[in-house]
Amino acid sequence: MTNSPKGFTLNNADSCRVKFARRFLRSLIEIKTRQTNYNNNLSSSPSSSSEIRRRSERIKLKAYSSMAHAVGPRKAWTRALLLKLHNRAKRHRFRTRKRSSLAMVLKKKRVFRVKNHANFYKPAAERGNYSVLNSDEKTEKLRELVPGGKAMDICSLLEETAHFIKCLAMQVQVMHEIADQLSN
Amino acid sequence: MSGQENENVGFQQSRSEGFLNCPSSRMATNTMPEKASGVTMSSLSMFKPPTGSDPFFASGWDPLVSLSQTENFGGSSMVTQGEFCNPPYNNPVVLESQGMSSTSHLVQYPSDSSFAEMVPKLSCFGSGSFSDMVGSFGLPQCAGIASTGCPPNYPPNSETTSTVGGQSQDGCQISDGGIGSSPNEKRRKRVPDFNSPLSPDKNAEGEQVQQKDSSISDVRKEQDEKKPKIEENSSGNARNKQTGKQAKDSADSGETPKENYIHVRARRGQATNSHSLAERVRREKISERMRLLQELVPGCNKITGKAVMLDEIINYVQSLQQQVEFLSMKLATVNPELNIDIERLLSKDILNSRGGNGALFGLGPGIGSSQHYPPGIFQGTMPSIPNTAPQFASLPQTVLDNELQGLFHMGYDSSTALENLGPNGRLKPEL
Repeated sequence: MTNSPKGFTLNNADSCRVKFARRFLRSLIEIKTRQTNYNNNLSSSPSSSSEIRRRSERIKLKAYSSMAHAVGPRKAWTRALLLKLHNRAKRHRFRTRKRSSLAMVLKKKRVFRVKNHANFYKPAAERGNYSVLNSDEKTEKLRELVPGGKAMDICSLLEETAHFIKCLAMQVQVMHEIADQLSN
Repeated sequence: MSGQENENVGFQQSRSEGFLNCPSSRMATNTMPEKASGVTMSSLSMFKPPTGSDPFFASGWDPLVSLSQTENFGGSSMVTQGEFCNPPYNNPVVLESQGMSSTSHLVQYPSDSSFAEMVPKLSCFGSGSFSDMVGSFGLPQCAGIASTGCPPNYPPNSETTSTVGGQSQDGCQISDGGIGSSPNEKRRKRVPDFNSPLSPDKNAEGEQVQQKDSSISDVRKEQDEKKPKIEENSSGNARNKQTGKQAKDSADSGETPKENYIHVRARRGQATNSHSLAERVRREKISERMRLLQELVPGCNKITGKAVMLDEIINYVQSLQQQVEFLSMKLATVNPELNIDIERLLSKDILNSRGGNGALFGLGPGIGSSQHYPPGIFQGTMPSIPNTAPQFASLPQTVLDNELQGLFHMGYDSSTALENLGPNGRLKPEL
């Protein structure tokens, strides 16, 4: 790729980054305002360890969710991640999230899962993937790490892992910058 | 033209005119024998590798003239082949055979029409190497000629071709076609295959040697189409293989011009079972993805082997997830500032990420605020995925991958150490 000029020419990665930063900051602010409201109402010490832990958990989920939304539902791992978060939200909070994008995501996810479920229950060799990597224990571990990895063959798993790593690294960097900014 | 060729050949000059429409008139001097007489050809004196500016051109025609030339003219014969072929494809051949590096000379070969003209005349050459040349260069018309009487000499042509591929820096398609995008080893094995699709006659004569299965991937198909077949194969074995390859290329292109699926043929000495073929394609896909991952994960340049690589990948993903957790904890403890200006933060973020984040990250020295993005760092990353260059570019603006990786590791280490998560052994600078 060419060197990015000083001007704001957004390429693919940058737009992803900006989208993620925006969404994440918004959810961060939302969490923070909720925290302050809670504190004001209760007038108790703002930070107890459990509170902090819960908040950090929420922030983490928000970070992943913003990342998945920023990338879009065109990647398998984002769809799987969004579905997982959505289910979790439904289970824990009974709160509705943005239906429009999720409905779209879920539709794709349904097709995706149906397509892969049949494959998943067969042994690796039967699936047509003759690679030894398919049933490796390390591969299994990787499948657990990457959202949606359990229903993929090794080939697409590696591809999704690469994209996932890229987005994770970007996410870490943005979060790091935000944390630095806020603490200064 | 080098006078030597003329002396050696002693052929009519008119022939060269017809043959050589290339701007380099030097070719003209190397006329090709009109009479199909291998004897005459053989009687020609050795063609000395041309020296000077137009070595290739000169040598290119010589093979036609002196088919019986020894390996010395292997280069020249290659050149000849190249001459018949489209210019860009000849370079590697010439380079290889002659050991010359003036590939640029070959670029101006006559167009195919001229070759077509010459093809019938070349049939008289009847050297075994002909088929090779034709095959290698993929001129459909040449096939017939090549098959006329080219004894299948398949000397170390594969080596030459393979080396050519390695050496062709001018982007000559010949090397690409002959070698294709596949590694050289593949090419070597595929030589025999090339001749088969060319023509049955040709196969019968010259391609007996190439009866084994060779696998070719279609990646080279388009290149093959461009390569005209070179009929004249004045050189010995060296050329035969070359032509064989190129004939195959052209044949391939003729068979499957542009298809959506990839044709894979069994490589020499490998099972032709459809299962094993598909397996091999799969394995190649997987190793390609592993290579991409290797470039993404810092510090994995020297790792060879899928198992170790997978370990590294898993560790890296886990460390990244730990980072996210740690950072979210940090953000949770940050005092809420109700006056957070999103735009301000965002703009700061973007500026920092673009303009170099040395200060922000507090990474080691040498982190300047220069705007240099080291694009080379992720040259191998998937083009379809948003490139990660910017995010790494915001880190120290060093160009060296190792430095960047090491610095990034340091960044990780510092952030993890903050929360007493313990230094992640894996993230230690692996410089």
